Amino acid sequence: MSSSVPFRERLQALRYNLIPDHLIGEILTKRWTDNAIPFLALVAVIAIFGSAIPGFFNPFSLQESTRQLGEFTIVVIGLTVVMLGGGIDLSVGSIFALATFAAVGCFFILDLPVWVAFLGALATGALCGAVNGYLVGFLRLRAFLTTLVTFIIGRAVFDILIVQYGAAVQTSFAQSDAWDFIGDGTVMGLSVPILSALVLAIVTHVVLTRARIGWHILAVGGSRRSAHNAGLKVRRTVFLTYVFSGLCSGAAGFLVACRLSGAGPGTGAGLEILALTAAVVGGNALGGGRGSVAKALMGAVIVLVMTNGLIRLGYGTGTNQMVLGLMLAVAVTIDIRWLKNRHKVLNEVYVAPVYLRMGDAQSAEPGSGTPYALNNRLSEAEPIGLGELEGPEDVILDRDDHLYCGTRHGEIVRFFAPDYKRSEVFAHVGGFPLGLAFDRAGNLLSCVGAMGLYRIAPDRTVTRLSAETKRSLTSVQDDARLRDPNDLDIAPDGRIYFTDSTKRYDAHEWTLDSIENRGTGRLLVYDPADGTTRTLLDGYRYTNGVCMAHDGKSLFFSESWACRIHRYWIEGPRAGTAECVIRDMPGYTDNINRASDGTYWMAWLGMRTPSFDLSLRHPAMRKRMTRRLPQDDWLFPNINTGGIVKFDETGRIIRTFGDLSGLSHPMVTSMREHKGELFIGGILNNRIGRYRIEGADPTWTGPDSYWGRT
Amino acid sequence: MILDPILDLFRGKAVTIPPMDGAFRPNTALEDAPVFARLAEADNLAPWKGAVIASSGNALYRLTEGAPPELLEVFEAPVSAIATSSAGEIAVALDDGRLFLDREEVPTGSAIRCITALAFASDGGLWLANGSAEHRASDWAADLMRKRASGSVWRRAPGKAAFEQRASGLAFPNGLLPVAGGVVFSESWRHRLMRLDGNGLRPVLEQIPGYPARLAPLAEGALLAVFAPRNRLIELVLQEDHYRHDMIAEVPRPYWIAPALASGKSFLEPLQCGGIRTMGVHKPWAPSRSWGLVVRLDKAMQPVESWHSRANGTRHGICSALAWEGRILAASKGGDLVAAMEAG
Repeated sequence: MSSSVPFRERLQALRYNLIPDHLIGEILTKRWTDNAIPFLALVAVIAIFGSAIPGFFNPFSLQESTRQLGEFTIVVIGLTVVMLGGGIDLSVGSIFALATFAAVGCFFILDLPVWVAFLGALATGALCGAVNGYLVGFLRLRAFLTTLVTFIIGRAVFDILIVQYGAAVQTSFAQSDAWDFIGDGTVMGLSVPILSALVLAIVTHVVLTRARIGWHILAVGGSRRSAHNAGLKVRRTVFLTYVFSGLCSGAAGFLVACRLSGAGPGTGAGLEILALTAAVVGGNALGGGRGSVAKALMGAVIVLVMTNGLIRLGYGTGTNQMVLGLMLAVAVTIDIRWLKNRHKVLNEVYVAPVYLRMGDAQSAEPGSGTPYALNNRLSEAEPIGLGELEGPEDVILDRDDHLYCGTRHGEIVRFFAPDYKRSEVFAHVGGFPLGLAFDRAGNLLSCVGAMGLYRIAPDRTVTRLSAETKRSLTSVQDDARLRDPNDLDIAPDGRIYFTDSTKRYDAHEWTLDSIENRGTGRLLVYDPADGTTRTLLDGYRYTNGVCMAHDGKSLFFSESWACRIHRYWIEGPRAGTAECVIRDMPGYTDNINRASDGTYWMAWLGMRTPSFDLSLRHPAMRKRMTRRLPQDDWLFPNINTGGIVKFDETGRIIRTFGDLSGLSHPMVTSMREHKGELFIGGILNNRIGRYRIEGADPTWTGPDSYWGRT
Repeated sequence: MILDPILDLFRGKAVTIPPMDGAFRPNTALEDAPVFARLAEADNLAPWKGAVIASSGNALYRLTEGAPPELLEVFEAPVSAIATSSAGEIAVALDDGRLFLDREEVPTGSAIRCITALAFASDGGLWLANGSAEHRASDWAADLMRKRASGSVWRRAPGKAAFEQRASGLAFPNGLLPVAGGVVFSESWRHRLMRLDGNGLRPVLEQIPGYPARLAPLAEGALLAVFAPRNRLIELVLQEDHYRHDMIAEVPRPYWIAPALASGKSFLEPLQCGGIRTMGVHKPWAPSRSWGLVVRLDKAMQPVESWHSRANGTRHGICSALAWEGRILAASKGGDLVAAMEAG
């Protein structure tokens, strides 16, 4: 960079080109970022209480805490599953208490074995859960009120029972090693509750993310109606979530029965609030459909550490409840705001402009006397498919003079020679077919935006050739996928060279890439012999058109936002390297194709404007523009004016055509010479233009030039 | 909502402009209106001796409907404003700051160099709007993009020779309408109309969705020409000091991100996303640097009706309007014509 560049600008260049702002947006697109806030809360809570309470990390105290944590986590996992299914279960505390009583009653009063006590607790839990599930799932009562009712009734039953039989439990002499082991013992240093919780967490996680029922639960929670329309048994699924929650509370009740060897009036009191807070603080959405077991675990740890910590620091129940309430309020607010605004935040931070100082270009103004001077010649082009076509990015002609183009509806349309008045849909590919080429066998190959490289045989069968390449090591967003395959050409040996313009934007958002201007364009090669795709070059600012040189030993490709043409050598001493042949054009380069006289045609999809060039040197301004203005108001390169440029092998510019009226061909993305005429396409245009070129060879065709005369 | 103030730190505050709604609701009445006369860079209209005269470049023309404009007089510099009195006097201001009254130069003093509007009051006094203390009238874009507010309003009492400053520190006063006891003037860069009278200076109409230019009297109320629309990108650039300074220093003025009297004439002009021509269509509601807008105001200077030429139209840059024989004439400086609309 020259020393004439002001210090501030050099600083900006360093700041915006070295700090990878774009990674923020890429990371935010990942689902796991939802866990970031609960995770930070978890770290903060442990750090605060760990340092405030002496002996917090002492093994014995941890052991006791983890027993309680295990039981609590089991309850939270159950509640989380209900919430994922779109419901809520306020009765977990009552079910827990009833199950504790069932276990204690079986063991101490009826003197039954431990396993019967366990089954008794589970059965109690399942039964209560089934009642909830039946009422909410099948009778479709409101989950909140229903479980509130079962909570009150369950609590009342428990209070009656504990008054009636409390004394009998205390005076019982029943004993069992198994009972004591579950209550006090450890396996490899881990207590039984914590082990049970871990096993349950893993199983539940696997079921939720991998098994059919898990997907059904998430689908029902995400949208009941859609799930119903998709044929899922919504009512049964909801029912099952409550049964699962009941079972979890039952299991936790059994564990606490073993640990405390009894049940008292306080058993399970306030547990529903604790569990609900834990589930929500962990980041599980109250509305259902969004959440995970990992979130439940984080929430459980946060809430338990917090409440126990506060007690050990000497705060009373009131303070404790207050803190819980506040946590719940904050969590619910963040949950709702985040859910609602996540995509907005993503929109605002995703575009991460970089600094670029464009080189001075020769003028393209009419009358400027440069070889680039635009004129009005293309406005004379005769329209084909006017009003029927939408978005013919590339056009091509076959040996029978029929004309093919892609449309934004994902179709390849064929216009019939000689007058091109009649047309048909040649094939439906989907995506946005962009670049086109015919191979030796007469197959039509197309780079399909948002999809990949496709082959359409003469019998119209569509085959996908490539949709991915090797992932680069430093990528955050998966860059193996071809996001915006743009143009292709075929070497004499049959290998297909093609471009993938950007890793950052989908095909329909290609213009946004110009605002960001980050070099992520690639040149790739597909080898039909073994079906592999390799990345040859990376890091260009929107790679676009590709054209084999007439001798087939090198190819030209364009780098749109840098307004350059590069040459990539396939054979010879410089094989595998690229050099820039034309730089600093006044327009943005697009497709390149062969001309009959041994030179090349190249399209300008738009023109540089001084204001946009200047904005490239002000990345901070562009960043604020994307954040503060609606997209319709963003400053763009001028893609309302394009043109066609003819250049030779050495990069010398021969002539330029334009449509300054802007009525017929405001932007040009491709042109194809065929029998003395030029066929002109534009990705945002509603027609193909047909322009007679003075002095062109009236017999020359593309297929002959590539594959010889038949 | 409660998190918005915190999130704003990370996302930046949205740039907003008043919508074209209510009386400003867009239509194509101006674009579709019959042509009264074709005149390159038609600027200031005024009635004179039973005909309409208009300034254009260095000259004054008399306009007759359907006929070529008739040249009245040529000056040494572009005409920046004209006014006529009921007695038939013509006041002509030039871009170099000189003022002529019936072809005789009137000394104005060194403070007046940017005469954007002139108006005779009914008592024979002459009001004068001096857009900027620093720029010429034709350099209005620079005055806006440098965010200047150095304009002033002056008055020459009947029979006196000297102009007296009545208000200063204005952001480009650009139109005058003498009223009983004072004057109503437009302040372009602040998008408002101000009233100056015995009670002092106060706004009468604010939040105009464009840059107001000249005012003309109606039997009941007034006509306001709005020469360019407000545009969010321009508002953003006005806040982006580094970019703006570099733009002023390095980019040729016609290609600035700034309001314009006409746009889309060169491919070097800035383009906004919404202005992209898609499938042969230029959206009429696209963000644009230029627009055509004439507003009818009631007696209280509140808008009641408007005539538009939208983003896809050509009759942009309306710098003055005139009620004439039951119709409303609008001079489109960007569209090189004078259109005649029926008053609703």
